[in-house]
Amino acid sequence: MSNLTNQLISNILFWLSRKKWLVIAFFISVSLFYVETPEGLTSDAHRTLIIVVTALILIVSESIPLPAIAMLILIMEVVLGVDTADGVASSFMSDAVFFIMGSLMLAVAIVHQGLDKRLALSIINVTGNKTWRIAFGFVFFSALMSSFIGEHTVAAMMLPVALALLRYSGKKPHQTSNLSSLLLFSIAYGCALGSIGTPSGGGRNAIMIGYFSEFNIARISYWDWIKYAYPMMLIEVPIASSILWLTFKPKKKILDSAVRKLKVSVAKDGKLSSNQVLSIVIFIFVFFSWIFFSPSIGLGIVALMGVFFYLSFRLIDWQDLTRRTNWGVVILFGSVISLGIQMNETGAAKWLADSILNSLSNSIVDPSNLRWFFSVIVSGIMTNLLSNAATVAILGPIVLEMGGDPIILGMSTSIASAFAYLTIVASPTCMIIYSTGLISSKDYIKAGWKLFIISITLLLLISIFYWPILS
Amino acid sequence: MNVLIAISSKHHSEPTLKAGMKVANAFSASSTVLEVGEKINEFSMKEVYMARERIESWNFDRPGVDVLEWAFNYLCKEKLINDSSIERGFPKNTLVENSSRRSEVFLEKGKAKNISLIIRNGDIIEELRNEVQSGDYDVTVLGGSKSGNLSFDMVQYIESSIFIVKNFQTKKKNKILLAVDSSKGSKKAIKHCVGIANAFNIEVEIITVTQDVKLKKANQNITEYASKFLRRFNIKNKIIFEEGNPVDVIPKKAGNDHILVIGSSSRGPIKTFFQSSTPIKILKKCNCPILVVK
Repeated sequence: MSNLTNQLISNILFWLSRKKWLVIAFFISVSLFYVETPEGLTSDAHRTLIIVVTALILIVSESIPLPAIAMLILIMEVVLGVDTADGVASSFMSDAVFFIMGSLMLAVAIVHQGLDKRLALSIINVTGNKTWRIAFGFVFFSALMSSFIGEHTVAAMMLPVALALLRYSGKKPHQTSNLSSLLLFSIAYGCALGSIGTPSGGGRNAIMIGYFSEFNIARISYWDWIKYAYPMMLIEVPIASSILWLTFKPKKKILDSAVRKLKVSVAKDGKLSSNQVLSIVIFIFVFFSWIFFSPSIGLGIVALMGVFFYLSFRLIDWQDLTRRTNWGVVILFGSVISLGIQMNETGAAKWLADSILNSLSNSIVDPSNLRWFFSVIVSGIMTNLLSNAATVAILGPIVLEMGGDPIILGMSTSIASAFAYLTIVASPTCMIIYSTGLISSKDYIKAGWKLFIISITLLLLISIFYWPILS
Repeated sequence: MNVLIAISSKHHSEPTLKAGMKVANAFSASSTVLEVGEKINEFSMKEVYMARERIESWNFDRPGVDVLEWAFNYLCKEKLINDSSIERGFPKNTLVENSSRRSEVFLEKGKAKNISLIIRNGDIIEELRNEVQSGDYDVTVLGGSKSGNLSFDMVQYIESSIFIVKNFQTKKKNKILLAVDSSKGSKKAIKHCVGIANAFNIEVEIITVTQDVKLKKANQNITEYASKFLRRFNIKNKIIFEEGNPVDVIPKKAGNDHILVIGSSSRGPIKTFFQSSTPIKILKKCNCPILVVK
């Protein structure tokens, strides 16, 4: 009996030691509930902020599964009386959530076609066998493709190409080197840069577009976004390549035998299959639909159209699709976006924005110029700690209430959330390259801080000199 | 009896695997070699698996397989896996995913002397705990860690005995330092000590450290019991009596040329959680391999 009790207590203590952040979040939220509502904040807004704090602690600590966090947010919204059950349900699903769901499913469908070998051949044919050209090619092609089909799709397809080159150049599994860091970071940073280029580059862009329209600020089309963001992406590609080359200069300056072996290995696969051709055609259709139809039918619906065709033409089975789609992320973003909308509707976002501006004006001379720095730096830091879409979903409503030009602030926040260069958990792309075991967590800081600072500077210059011309 | 041997890489895990297999053989136990890979955060889990599927379609191994392959080759070299399996090489194509975080390489059972090879991904304590619970292991063998918290968590939350292979030099002839007192755990430690002494074919020094004069007699009795028990198995031993705090004296005496065997504390889990326990404090200070028997 005493053994059983001890075992039960031990199990509880183990649970508490693993879930300590859940316990901390619980006590913080209870304490905040009993704190007197600050002046200027409505009771609903106060309670919304309690949910925001709880959600942020749980997302960063990952002490409970993501879908559980999502459900907790929805439950708290209703139980704390922020909105009715129907109100929460309707804010849970939006075109941005459709887009996140559709793009994750499109990623699965595209990766499933096994186009990576074709891709490898195309890239190598363009770059040749010089290492610097290959690294530049990796950054460029990763950025180019991820700007249209999303970063993790590209990372999953590019990873075997990099590993093949490393293996064929004589590297053993687990053998780390500057060459492995150079090639893998070229993929990760290329994908991150590319994801700012178009709304379909990442779910966060769709979330910001959703907020622009939900809060009656502006209707930004797919093409408008490209005009704003694509030039920055193109400028950053050579900068990122140079930083990576200087940080991880490899001993081997030419990868001739690796490239030869890669070509031989890829050549075995023969020509493109009809399914592969069809899948490319469907994606091109989706891309043009995003440009021409998304202003009227929404980005999410276009993505779902793509999924519809992939399923209808049997290019992927529903079982394969559903097994590989990260539903936890879809549900979580649905609830975080719902929370963002509540932040706006209850006035919590406005109160936070005003409080931030007031505190800045106490310590620094002119707060109006610092709105931009606040949005970009907080977004850049948050994205490296949680996820870029969650960053935009939470931070978006606040920066859009800060005054000044909301489009510039919103676009800057969304773009800065792509500066996920510094940590492993910053984005799925960073995790994908880390999971190879070929790079250490210190490598992220080594190259990442330089690119982080340059990206912020470049974003500042573009928002001062280029964006005003567009508007 | 089941022994779980946790390894991380061939650079760091050779002493762990060697010591673990010696212990498993001494007890004629089934052994499982487990590699715990990095934790993948939930935001990226599906994407990482998708990338892994692509890697495998190019006939490259997913991370962790190379570590198991190294372990397999080591076991072959030590003749712990039968000849027909050795000829066929490492059967990576039999790597089967049991759950989202656990995969197993299937070796021919019976012929491979009950050896299993497993990969898990996630938080090391959580994964080891799950594996120990599901596989009903008696001893978990793992390498030393610089982090004191890890040792604490191991002893506190993992139900099997824990053998931490810290600074183990395979070529050096160590002695066993069997630390006993009048607590319940000591008798179990004495029994396990026999197996370890046989595995490594080495002498035993039985130590008892008395802080409280009242316990001196009880401690003398247990040391005599231990000495008799070991003699029955023809294991050479000598008794050392010391006075002072066991937490200071035992690690000092163990130095880096002993394998320390100690029973777990009889303290309840709550008291251990808040105040720690003598074995955990000793483990944190010790610079040699240590077996905490539960």
